Amino acid sequence: MELARVSKRFGDKLVVDEVSLSVRAGEAVAITGENGAGKTTLLRMCARLITPDRGGVAVRGRVGYCPQEPGLFELLSADEHLALFAQALGLSRERALQEGGRLLAEFGFPVGERSQARHLSGGARQKLNLALALLGGARVLLLDEPYQGFDHGAYVSFWEHVARWKQEGLAVVVVTHLLAGTALVDRVLELAIPSAGAGA
Amino acid sequence: MTARELARRPVALGLLTALPLAFYGSAAHHSDHAAITGGLAMAFSMAGASIFAALTARPVDQRLILAGYHPSELLLGRLLLLELFGLTVAAIFSVVIVLGTGPAHPWVLAVGVGLVAFTSVPFGLAVGALAPHELEGVLILIGVVGVQLTLESTQTIAKLLPFWGPQRLIQHSIEGDVAIGAALPVGFAYAFALLGLAAYISRARAPSVERPRTAN
Repeated sequence: MELARVSKRFGDKLVVDEVSLSVRAGEAVAITGENGAGKTTLLRMCARLITPDRGGVAVRGRVGYCPQEPGLFELLSADEHLALFAQALGLSRERALQEGGRLLAEFGFPVGERSQARHLSGGARQKLNLALALLGGARVLLLDEPYQGFDHGAYVSFWEHVARWKQEGLAVVVVTHLLAGTALVDRVLELAIPSAGAGA
Repeated sequence: MTARELARRPVALGLLTALPLAFYGSAAHHSDHAAITGGLAMAFSMAGASIFAALTARPVDQRLILAGYHPSELLLGRLLLLELFGLTVAAIFSVVIVLGTGPAHPWVLAVGVGLVAFTSVPFGLAVGALAPHELEGVLILIGVVGVQLTLESTQTIAKLLPFWGPQRLIQHSIEGDVAIGAALPVGFAYAFALLGLAAYISRARAPSVERPRTAN
């Protein structure tokens, strides 16, 4: 994945100013920075959810995107989400339930949980959110603080998974506030809030 | 997913059906225009449901598109389900009006009420695609349908609004001497134009990544 001097402005506010980033297969990169530094905006540009005003984004391989706020249908259960995403991915329902169920179990999602998303705990919602990003074998993982609400065990498991994904040749980008996470990646991109006069 | 979400909201389903009946019932004994009021009020229900379906799904839709869905697949799926529901409610509501009011042309009334439902869904999906949040969407809905309800179909502004065609048809079914030559084509043209607008916005907002689907 390549980002070449991308900039993004919302109204008068410059949010991302000429950021470049290259992530190869088998590499994990953390994006850090204070609130408002443009971490989420940058990740959304990587996922092509928003278009940069300047600069270019090139991504090779299917993207698995895990947003900061779980994007879920509140009245659907975890299995129904997996089946829905499976259809989008061209997977059979059985395979999606098997693969998704395994992913959920690895992160400690309650086995056999049939509740609608609105009744799940914050941590369980986040685990489902993450599993949906991983479903179907994405080659580029864009994860925006994916462990919010995780208990300690699930948090540790998440970083173990990052190491495994690297070995499997995936390109992984994690937005994180936690310094502990930055020790477990290959590189750290620290974003600063663009100065008022920048990008003019 | 829209079907499951709707089916799991029985209170909302009940209200969607009851709202036009309430408009019709409240005017039935006091106004010759009860059928027009009730018929057009269906737009509040069906367009409202469509706006919420579009807006609540927006963040998930982006992920589904990243996963492989085409924006038009999501839009069409939602459209078909809501149209099916809307036309069912319209059929029930037409029977209620025919029994309650006894229009001179019951089939024209049924077509008019059905056209309200048919147009409401793309109208709601277009507003849902345009509006930044639920509040803005609902205010647009109240504005457009509310203005249409207060106007006579002969007024210029009424002719510019999306429910003018069905308004004329329902009016003709009651009064009999209203020209309806343009009502049906204008109604359909409006519905398809609104659907085109919704499709255009959905596509413009969608992530631009194109990729083949993986095999099973």
